[in-house]
Amino acid sequence: MSSKRSKEITASELRHSFVLFILLFAFWVILSGHLDLKHLSIGFVSAVVITIITRPLMHMSSTSEPQKTYFAFDFPYFRYIAYWPWLLWQIVKANIEIALVILNPNLPINPQIITFRKKMSNPHAHVVLANSITLTPGTVTVDVKDDLYLVHALTDSAAKGLVPEDGEAEMLTKVSSVFGEECARTGSEVSA
Amino acid sequence: MAIVAIIFLLGGFFFTFVAALGVIRLPDFYSRLHASGKCETLGMVLSFLGLAIYEGFTLTALKLFFIVIFIFIANPTGTHILSRAAYRSGIKPWTRKGE
Repeated sequence: MSSKRSKEITASELRHSFVLFILLFAFWVILSGHLDLKHLSIGFVSAVVITIITRPLMHMSSTSEPQKTYFAFDFPYFRYIAYWPWLLWQIVKANIEIALVILNPNLPINPQIITFRKKMSNPHAHVVLANSITLTPGTVTVDVKDDLYLVHALTDSAAKGLVPEDGEAEMLTKVSSVFGEECARTGSEVSA
Repeated sequence: MAIVAIIFLLGGFFFTFVAALGVIRLPDFYSRLHASGKCETLGMVLSFLGLAIYEGFTLTALKLFFIVIFIFIANPTGTHILSRAAYRSGIKPWTRKGE
């Protein structure tokens, strides 16, 4: 392993450990609700110990670039948080759509399996994309093999929303821009 | 505040009801997952947000908000695992053509 690359990994790991520690400690403080020295010090020690012992579990190797390793809590936090309001709005919109479909006496559904490819280097980006697809009603991620997505869509409009005839779906573009992936390398394929 | 909380709770009840109805009405395993996995997520989230709003800005409201975040992460994951297990064990999705 070259010294340059190990330095990069260390920086990523430091950010990861710091954020994980802050999250764990904040979680402890909120759940305990006590701000005295005894409770805070117990929380501090447990957060540090958990951060250290979970370190080997938090490596994620990239599927498309095997030489790269990512840490679970090292991702663009602010852009990820900025992505949430958009996702929430999509969820509400699509939920109303599905509720109307279910309440419709004719049950206008057309279930289908759609597949598409999305190349992304960071495994975290794949997790976020698959999770977003499942959260948006009308589509469930059935399987992800490397960069091939297998999605079950309930209606035609849900399938079209994810795999439009021209270009890329808005959600895919958003997720890849959150994680700073190159959009030029991606290409979506449609098959029935 | 109470009125906003009631609106959120009623929205939550509505979506949970739709989820239950969808499980009964939809034809196969995969499409039932759509109803139970997602409409229910929004239903529960709306209910918990309603309770948090009713509670006001307190520690309890913050804890309820944490439950909301966990539901948002855990529910799609569970749905995905169920659908993948069904797909791997060879359940064929229901389609209009093969009715």
